[in-house]
Amino acid sequence: MLELKNVHTYYGNIHALRGVNLVVNKGEIVTLIGSNGAGKTTTLRTIQGILRPREGEILLEGVALHKLPPHEIVRRGVSQSPEGRLIFPRMSVKENLEMGAYQRNDASGIAEDMERVFKLFPRLKERIGQRGGTLSGGEQQMLSMGRALMARPRVMLLDEPSMGLAPILVDQIFDIIRELHSQGVTILLVEQNARLALSVADRGYVLETGEMALTGPAKELLHNPQVKAAYLGENH
Amino acid sequence: MMKKILARGELIAVVLTAFLALILGGWQIMLIAALAGMLIGLSAEHKANYLPRAAGVAAFVGLILIAITHFHNTSLSTLPGMEHIPDQAKTVGTYLIALGVIIGLAVLTAWIHNLADERKRQVYFIGLMVALAVFFPFFEQCPGLSWTNFKFVDMAAGCSEQSNLLWIGPVIVMFIYALQAIGLNIVAGFAGLLDLGYVAFFAIGAYTMGLLRSQQLGSQMGDPDFFRWSFWIVIWIAAATAAFFGLVFGAPTLRLRGDYLAIVTLGFGEIVPIVVKNLYAVRIFEPISLFIGQLFGQKSSDLMQFCLLGCGAKPLDITAGTKGISPIYPPDFFGYTFTVGEYVPWYFLALTLLVVSAFFIYRLRASRIGRAWVSMREDELAANAMGVDLIRTKLTAFVLGAMFSGFAGAFYASYTTLITPDSFDFSISVIILAQVILGGSGNIAGVMLGSSIIMLIDRVLLDKLKMVINGVLQGLVFKGIDNQALAVFWTSLTDATAYKILLFGLILVVMMKVRPQGILPEQTAARRRAA
Repeated sequence: MLELKNVHTYYGNIHALRGVNLVVNKGEIVTLIGSNGAGKTTTLRTIQGILRPREGEILLEGVALHKLPPHEIVRRGVSQSPEGRLIFPRMSVKENLEMGAYQRNDASGIAEDMERVFKLFPRLKERIGQRGGTLSGGEQQMLSMGRALMARPRVMLLDEPSMGLAPILVDQIFDIIRELHSQGVTILLVEQNARLALSVADRGYVLETGEMALTGPAKELLHNPQVKAAYLGENH
Repeated sequence: MMKKILARGELIAVVLTAFLALILGGWQIMLIAALAGMLIGLSAEHKANYLPRAAGVAAFVGLILIAITHFHNTSLSTLPGMEHIPDQAKTVGTYLIALGVIIGLAVLTAWIHNLADERKRQVYFIGLMVALAVFFPFFEQCPGLSWTNFKFVDMAAGCSEQSNLLWIGPVIVMFIYALQAIGLNIVAGFAGLLDLGYVAFFAIGAYTMGLLRSQQLGSQMGDPDFFRWSFWIVIWIAAATAAFFGLVFGAPTLRLRGDYLAIVTLGFGEIVPIVVKNLYAVRIFEPISLFIGQLFGQKSSDLMQFCLLGCGAKPLDITAGTKGISPIYPPDFFGYTFTVGEYVPWYFLALTLLVVSAFFIYRLRASRIGRAWVSMREDELAANAMGVDLIRTKLTAFVLGAMFSGFAGAFYASYTTLITPDSFDFSISVIILAQVILGGSGNIAGVMLGSSIIMLIDRVLLDKLKMVINGVLQGLVFKGIDNQALAVFWTSLTDATAYKILLFGLILVVMMKVRPQGILPEQTAARRRAA
């Protein structure tokens, strides 16, 4: 469904992505793990068109995304819950969610999805009129994910949903990711917490300094000695 | 002790009332009463019998108001330099009406303020404000109608000399500024783009009106009345022209962020008046023959060029340079022609323009594009990730902001009948921005409040303060001292208008420290809608 072919992205002269190849199939959760600065967030920003690849192709069901501006990419069904959540602090929860559906015009569909988000995150419904900035960290993460869902995405990009959250909240968030998976949402999940990410994902990619080091089914990666040593903190 | 009896808002009402009454004196008693009444109503907290309490406080404040007004009328207005303040308000009837106004408004505002239904509260409050605005010219006693002594009198004869004392003139200017402020609020408040050259669009709107409704161009074309198009069409042309220049200025610059954008817009604010100042002798030749001729090595003086514009004996004078364009025809309205000095029709025209624009901008904020503006201000990266086209969305904010400034400029040109490049100074951009920040960036009602506070200080209060201080000095202090130099020194030192910019600066600094979100901060749409 979503395919990255030999993608190279630069920050000025810094070669951040050095030929990333990645495939996400429909209904899958694919996780992208790697250490700080490996290029995980850069990959997501490149998919969304916020950064431009200098080389390579990004295809969504055959459509070349790398030639489109970000708003066209969102319209074609790629939405993101960005790193650090980036909710709109002085807009209400409702307005934040409405912003997620910014590229959509079907009022009834938007209302439907709003209900769906509230079913998934009942806390957001309680806080509907509150400003986004007054929510707790976990609630902000929920809002960020709910906002991404409001686009009714064909592929949802999740960047570090566990960042800065207490373990119990991380568990809750990952329960919801599983729930989304069971509903058939296609997800590309970027995580530092490799164990958790691999436990929910179907397949995984390991990114090292802008290059794909490893790929395979998530279960295999979990037991791969290299991954264990570098990302799961196990010595053997 | 005082604090226990009176709430903070009520205390402010007392102090403000006393201060205003002392400075403004007699004939503004109704306005002060209305203002104080609303302040008392707004500070009434929801408790058992808050209405009688509000009435009681209002009566108390009303008595203070009457006492000070009476003191002003009988003592202060006899001081040298202040004798000419009209003192029609000395009668018991006026005092009683003022008492009624303050109590009535206090109770009404308190009631509205404590309505449970948020939506209703808003609608009623806006209704009250509009009603007050509509009645305002009748509170005004010079030269409109007055109901002093229970009868309408035409005070025009008695007031002609003191036209600078009238409220209605400053209030019309205040409306023009408020219109600009709510327009700038789209750019700076909603979209978060710091525009320091907003006056450029005000100037463009004004000059469009000036050119299309004066003899400036027509007289050079042989038909002085050629450009006397209908005001009601030209005001739209002016707005469209300003919007077009918003597009022209915005398209290349809106890629810049924060400070860089501020500097570029600052440049636009300077460029437009300078261009206007220099467009007084224009003659344009087509450049093609020159270009081709030079290709063949001919000197430019030998070439024959076709003249495109300004080909007569004298070059075309478009803007009359520093002299400015004058007179600009006032608008007609179904056979009625607006005239200079007859304020009431101008007042209602400005009020209509302001109310309609405010409503339009309110609807814009609640719409999809309004959300996109605010989201961009909140977090550009996230907005981009949500599919907001940043450049286009910024451009719409810029263009719409320019449009409202164009409206304001067009009205201003007609109202003053004279526009010069100097009337579009950098300080206007700053004052409008200060109004937006003071009132509450992002909140339309707040911005209008900020606008009225700053304009009333600027156009009314400081003048009066100067007059009162001067009067007191002349009448009481200098009487015993026979030193001309000292008197001059003190008079100029206590000239309140000279401290205007200092005062605005202080207001901004204090606001940033105490309440950076403005007097009436922005509310989220959902909270506004929640009920």
